Amino acid sequence: MTAPPDDCLARNEWICGAYLSTRRQILLDAVVQHLQLTSVSVLIGLAIALPLAVLARRWTLAAGPVLGVTTILYTIPSLAMFSLLLPLYGLSAGLVVAGLVLYSLTLLVRNILAGLRAVPQETRQAARGLGYGPIRLLLTVELPLALPAAMAGLRIATVSAVSLVTVGAIVGFGGLGNLIYAGMNTYFKAQVLTASVLCVLIAVAADVLLLGVQWLITPWARAARG
Amino acid sequence: MRGRAAVTAAGLLALTACSTGPSLENRGEVTASPGDSHHLTIGSAGFTESDLLAQMYAQLLNQAGYRTSLLTVANRELYEPALESGQIDVVPEYAATLADWLNAKTHGADAPPVGSPDLEATMKALRELATPRGLTVLPPGRAVDQNAFAVTAAYARQHHLKTLSDLGASKLKVRLAAGDECVQRPYCEPGLKKVYGIDITGIDPKGVGTTQAKRAVQEGRDQMVLTTTTDATLDQFGLVLLADDKHLQNADYVVPVVNRSRAGSARVARALGRLNDVLTTADLADMNRQVDSWRRLPADVARTYLKDKGLLK
Repeated sequence: MTAPPDDCLARNEWICGAYLSTRRQILLDAVVQHLQLTSVSVLIGLAIALPLAVLARRWTLAAGPVLGVTTILYTIPSLAMFSLLLPLYGLSAGLVVAGLVLYSLTLLVRNILAGLRAVPQETRQAARGLGYGPIRLLLTVELPLALPAAMAGLRIATVSAVSLVTVGAIVGFGGLGNLIYAGMNTYFKAQVLTASVLCVLIAVAADVLLLGVQWLITPWARAARG
Repeated sequence: MRGRAAVTAAGLLALTACSTGPSLENRGEVTASPGDSHHLTIGSAGFTESDLLAQMYAQLLNQAGYRTSLLTVANRELYEPALESGQIDVVPEYAATLADWLNAKTHGADAPPVGSPDLEATMKALRELATPRGLTVLPPGRAVDQNAFAVTAAYARQHHLKTLSDLGASKLKVRLAAGDECVQRPYCEPGLKKVYGIDITGIDPKGVGTTQAKRAVQEGRDQMVLTTTTDATLDQFGLVLLADDKHLQNADYVVPVVNRSRAGSARVARALGRLNDVLTTADLADMNRQVDSWRRLPADVARTYLKDKGLLK
């Protein structure tokens, strides 16, 4: 047996330059996979949540079941969720995305619905008085006014998706989670710390990005404040 | 909308119902002739040795002209069905452990075990179980990675323990750090109780030979840890192996298992077979050390080894 090399990897230091330089490509791939899984699932979640929320707003009877089902989905532990979806999706990125979409639903539906419900009755009546049909009312009055609440939900859903992606490591599609799990098994300090820090950075960056988007698409809120 | 809730609930129930064996629509693959897919997915069970073997398989297959990708999956319960369905094409396995696992899957958890310390008998049993599932078990090599049980050196000294029989005779209460599947595996908790008379009070599901598991024993939260004969980090945690004097552990030789319809060709068998005459248990332990203690990349360690042995250009 040859002597162990003496570098920060062998010494298992928390912060290790050699880790960054030898694993650059692996880290990059993991970050890309993490971003893809997060963004795809949040976008699909949004595409499903929006019509559900509008539906729940239009028909009061639908609100109970919609909120009930999405909330029950949210209470399923993530490991159990992936196991339940496994026969449907097999070992694929689709499995992780499907799980994350189901989790994002409750946050998104609740917040979009809250936003829609907060539109003042007078505003709606005024629009109708001006001759707005239901579609135009929804698109040009109700949805824009619901934006702040909806965006708050989207931000929470995105940040929680960033952290939930890591659980996908049990099927090999967990972005940075793959590295965190592998690092935990071998008590690899630099790997666990680096991957965790990157995870937090992604979450913060996504949140700031969405905040910026909200600022851009709600100019009236700025005008009111200024 | 009430209908929707019912549909979702029914869907969740249906999901739990079907989780084993190839489904009807891909039964055909089981009986199909050996296939030769150009792109092969190599599965790793997520622990270091499995990563290393998967890397070596991938590099040997690359050299034989295949494109490969690696997929790391947490455990056999997840990757074996994927191997049957062809989502994973090649997996490094352990003969006796897989034979017993497939046996339990086919004949139920209470079926008498088929894996034994006898390699020939184990391989025969394994092939009989794997073939109907569309899997081909390639010939075993020299490397053997048996389960092994370790305690702290101080604990062994204090209670005069050298073998697992000593531990059974000592009547000590033992909490075992192992994978959660240990509760069912005949060569883990049931075997320790029956063959050695060890008083296992519980399984601490920290995984097989993981750092957490070894630290739990080192810190006295658990008394014994399930690890393997190729574990090179035991002395780092002050642990010693207890000898398996009644031969509870089986012929866990490293064998490549492939999905026959996608990787059943002679070319794959030839590429992976080159490793058989070369790789020894000590080599595996040494490579495990390089990855676990020195934190080298499994891909680099595997490549260096294959090049040193002249298996890779």
